[in-house]
Amino acid sequence: MEVRIKEHPILGEVKKGRLVKFTHDGQVLEGYEGEPIAVALKAAGVLVHRYTEKKHSPRGVFCAIGRCTDCVMIVNGEPNIRTCVTPLKEGMTVDTQYGTSDEPFVKELKEAK
Amino acid sequence: MERYDLIVIGAGPSGLSAGIEAAKAGASVIIFDENEKPGGQLFKQIHKFFGSKEHRAKVRGFNIGYQLLKEADEAGAKVELSATVLGIYQDKEVVVKIKEGIKHFKADSIIVATGAAENMVPFEGWTLPGVIGAGAAQTMLNLHGILPGKKVLMLGSGNVGLVVSYQLKQCGCDVVALVDAAPRIGGYGVHAAKISRMGIPFYLPYTIKKVEGTDHVTGVTIAKLDPSFKFIEGTEMHFDVDTVCVAVGLSPMSQLLKMAGCKMDDNPRKGGQVPVIDEHGQTSIPGIFAAGDVSGIEEASSAMIEGRQAGIYAANYLGYIEDKLMKEKEDELDKALDGLRQGMFAPSNRGKKIEKTEEGIDISNNLLAKGFVADEEIERFPGVVHKLGIHPVMECTQNIPCNPCQDACPKKCIKIGSKITSLPAVDESVDCIGCGMCVASCPGQAIFLVNENVGEGMAEITLPYEIYPLPEVGEKGIALSRAGHPVCIAEVVKVRTGLAFDKTAVLTIRVPKEFAMKARFYKKEKLAKSV
Repeated sequence: MEVRIKEHPILGEVKKGRLVKFTHDGQVLEGYEGEPIAVALKAAGVLVHRYTEKKHSPRGVFCAIGRCTDCVMIVNGEPNIRTCVTPLKEGMTVDTQYGTSDEPFVKELKEAK
Repeated sequence: MERYDLIVIGAGPSGLSAGIEAAKAGASVIIFDENEKPGGQLFKQIHKFFGSKEHRAKVRGFNIGYQLLKEADEAGAKVELSATVLGIYQDKEVVVKIKEGIKHFKADSIIVATGAAENMVPFEGWTLPGVIGAGAAQTMLNLHGILPGKKVLMLGSGNVGLVVSYQLKQCGCDVVALVDAAPRIGGYGVHAAKISRMGIPFYLPYTIKKVEGTDHVTGVTIAKLDPSFKFIEGTEMHFDVDTVCVAVGLSPMSQLLKMAGCKMDDNPRKGGQVPVIDEHGQTSIPGIFAAGDVSGIEEASSAMIEGRQAGIYAANYLGYIEDKLMKEKEDELDKALDGLRQGMFAPSNRGKKIEKTEEGIDISNNLLAKGFVADEEIERFPGVVHKLGIHPVMECTQNIPCNPCQDACPKKCIKIGSKITSLPAVDESVDCIGCGMCVASCPGQAIFLVNENVGEGMAEITLPYEIYPLPEVGEKGIALSRAGHPVCIAEVVKVRTGLAFDKTAVLTIRVPKEFAMKARFYKKEKLAKSV
């Protein structure tokens, strides 16, 4: 699904930084430098940013302005990074956050197998 | 420790305006904002603002943002970004996290203009990825150039819900429904009418029963509510959507003021916890002021005026402006603020059902319940006339403080008069030249130029259009009614764009003349060759 707007009827051409590579859970993705990590993920079709500690329920972007902290992920090894307000840089590692860890919950892993 | 005369917290419409006024008076000013970019929500507001010239009416929100930044720069107010204020302590000491460090600042006066945060309603599935705030949709579309989803259901019919639905549609998203638990649409009728004619259906009083999906949203079920807000069984409706947008109001972000020890008031009419302020915006702590949404939810135009006032009061408190000059400026701004707080949507009318306009005309009930004025209701409003040749038809039916149409017409054939909330009327003694300025200048997109008979049984309708790709002259598509239903085939005869129209294309379509008062939108459609 193409979700990037190329030309906006009011705002005109959408200007972005250069195209850079980053990894998401080990997979190489592309996004524009300087745009929020969450936007690059959305363009790549990634909607789930983390799973909650207690109920293991999926969470993604909610407020998109850095208030609600629902979209936090592990960025360059550091957990709880608000991806909706953190600019994308070349070579970043962005990983799904399980509770506060990058290790998937054991129960789900077993079920998946 | 760095010292300033005045610290402003928040670089949105209110905070910037406050900083500008105080700096102009001679105070040393620093404005902190936690975001990477200044302007608060202004840069996401791409619609033309309501009001009159003094409120920067018909200027798009983001352009007002640029104007304010330039003014702040010229006045010498320093804007510090990525700077989160952590607390206001004794003797006006302010602790700020700037990037990865903590810094201390001190001032003789503080203006808190932290704005508001979006509300949420919990329903089954509300935490699923794909359930987002309407503000988030606006941020994605207008700041980052990305669609929040392809098929969207909007919850909430206040101005935010209506405006964001329009913006989604503008970018090609399919808005499948607009739902509100209230029995009447909360926002401006003209905003509702604008999206109704694009084909977005309204469901009132309905709300979300359940959002479906395992890892992200795949659908939503809504149901009708009885007067005690309980679901009526058997009224459930399902929509396949990938996104649910929630626009259920805002709450003041007043935590810093509470922490500073300011006296607070839990006031539902103002949106929640607000500081108790005097007529000068001063809190219970001398020298600490509050302005904009943090002191009561309104909108950007009034936030800018309140901000300017707070800046002037702070400058007076600091000794930069004498009482007499303060009073003069205050009176002028009070007048501007009063202008905005009039009409049916004035804060004093919140929650009231209004039956008649100021002119004594019955309000369109269909507009309140369904989002468009019914055919049998439209003729009773003063902007709707019939005459030979081209003439404006103004489907402006509620008293809102707005008058750019009156100034837009070079022939002066539109009259509002001195009362800014009056419904526009057509001066039938003056001939319309069909320039389209009124069509493009109306922030509510409620003005059409109609020529009810151009010969050969046809009529022409000129309407505002803000969707890409623009139609081309000669192409044929479908004319839609106020309700967004197809009424007939329409041929595009003119597409005008121009600097003066500020990105609103002015489109003229030709339809059979019996549809002159029915066709109100144009939809591009691949038609079979035989038509």
